[in-house]
Amino acid sequence: MALSGTLLLTLMTMAPPATPAAPATDNKSCLRCHAMATLAYRDPGTGEIVDLAIEPHALSHSVHGELDCIDCHEGEFDRYPHPSDAANETLSCLGCHEKDDTEDNIARYQSIDAEYAESVHATSDAPEVEGFSCHSCHDPHGFRASQVGEKIAAIVRDGNQVCLSCHEKLRDPFSPHHAWLPNREKHWDAVRCLDCHTPLSDTEQKVSHRILPPEESNRDCVNCHSKEPSLLNRLYQYRSEEDLATKGWLNKAVFNDAYVVGMSRNATLDLLGLIVIGLTLLVLAAHGYGRYKAYQRTKGDPK
Amino acid sequence: MNALYLYSGWVRAWHWLNALLFLVLILSGASMHFAGTGWLLNFEIARPIHNVAGILVTIGWIGFVIGNLVTDNGRHYRVHLRGFFQRLFSQMRYYGYGIFQNEPHPFHPSAEMKLNTLQQLSYLGVMYLLMPVLILSGWAFLFSIYLPETLFGLGSVWVVAMTHLTVAYFLALFVLVHLYIITTGDTLSSNLRAMITGWHRETHPESQG
Repeated sequence: MALSGTLLLTLMTMAPPATPAAPATDNKSCLRCHAMATLAYRDPGTGEIVDLAIEPHALSHSVHGELDCIDCHEGEFDRYPHPSDAANETLSCLGCHEKDDTEDNIARYQSIDAEYAESVHATSDAPEVEGFSCHSCHDPHGFRASQVGEKIAAIVRDGNQVCLSCHEKLRDPFSPHHAWLPNREKHWDAVRCLDCHTPLSDTEQKVSHRILPPEESNRDCVNCHSKEPSLLNRLYQYRSEEDLATKGWLNKAVFNDAYVVGMSRNATLDLLGLIVIGLTLLVLAAHGYGRYKAYQRTKGDPK
Repeated sequence: MNALYLYSGWVRAWHWLNALLFLVLILSGASMHFAGTGWLLNFEIARPIHNVAGILVTIGWIGFVIGNLVTDNGRHYRVHLRGFFQRLFSQMRYYGYGIFQNEPHPFHPSAEMKLNTLQQLSYLGVMYLLMPVLILSGWAFLFSIYLPETLFGLGSVWVVAMTHLTVAYFLALFVLVHLYIITTGDTLSSNLRAMITGWHRETHPESQG
């Protein structure tokens, strides 16, 4: 991953440790160097800066937090300096993840594969997507799936951060790409990019890996705000579950944070309802006028 | 002058509390439903107000049903079939025609029967049909995760929303008609006074049929 130009290249200044008595295989040894935020080098071939820093807190809380570094990095990393060909190691998610060969798991990865093959990240001709892989979004040193009970704002922020780390221009307040979206900032705080930029999937997987290009993404407000059951359920039911888990049923009943503006709207019912109410008011007014006339007659002609 | 004590203390207390909650629910509900329209409450304020009023109206409704079971107020909601259609039509004829001819009211409340047949039918429909549906759909909104994902092939949350909306329109309609019918008593304000004091007064009891 490319870092900003002000980065300090610390690798060169590091003193190599004295010949180790035994190969260092524990994470602590690796993190002695790799926990440094500025650890990086400039690739002599491409001139790109290659970031070698690992955020230890993110790593230990990630889905891979229980693993040893060398479980994935199988080259001869126990020696320093690392052999020069160690950098050519190939890591593949499926290499490990397909070891779980239960039917469910295989089907899951097959559906992810199929979805990803149609994703804009796989089909686009843009030069930026060259070399796109699972790791481009799922940073193996920090990724973890969100859990019910976490703050939704934090899940949304972390999720969107993944997209925005490449799609930087979208942050620009004058960017035209989401100008059509009412309450743009509010949407960005409350829903993930993925909620509009993926199709609804029928599989167990809550979110599809087929990322849609802008022109195919959801632009229809009612899909979330009123009738489309799957999208609405995805948003509303998740929030309801989260509210109940963290706040208890009384707070849920009073505040119901899940409610989305316009959820109950239906043009036909609203029109019908308002017409019937309007007509009723007219009839009542006419009835009252008739009674008033009758009352005047009694005054003019007392019995 | 003929005076009858028709509305006991708990009925009046329940009625006015319910009336207040209805107004709050209609205003806050419309504010959520039509959020973004200028003259309504702010969505963020309307939401907890609507929910709290909904919880209170639920408690009130349960109190009303229990009250009707344990006191003799419940008898006013039991439909008597003898002469039912005749009473219903004479009441409808009065509102549609007789009232403009200054005819006397066809119905005179008594301690045994305080509601005319048309009134009784609409209150039965409102309190024992629409209100339970409104209350259940309201709570279903809050605890939708315990519902199946779809109802009748449609997303549950949407079904709940449309049910709540439809019943809400019916009840708003009821409130309008109810407010108007109040003025059709012996004088414009005599029905209103009866629900405040509990005493129903008729100034010309001798003209009873």
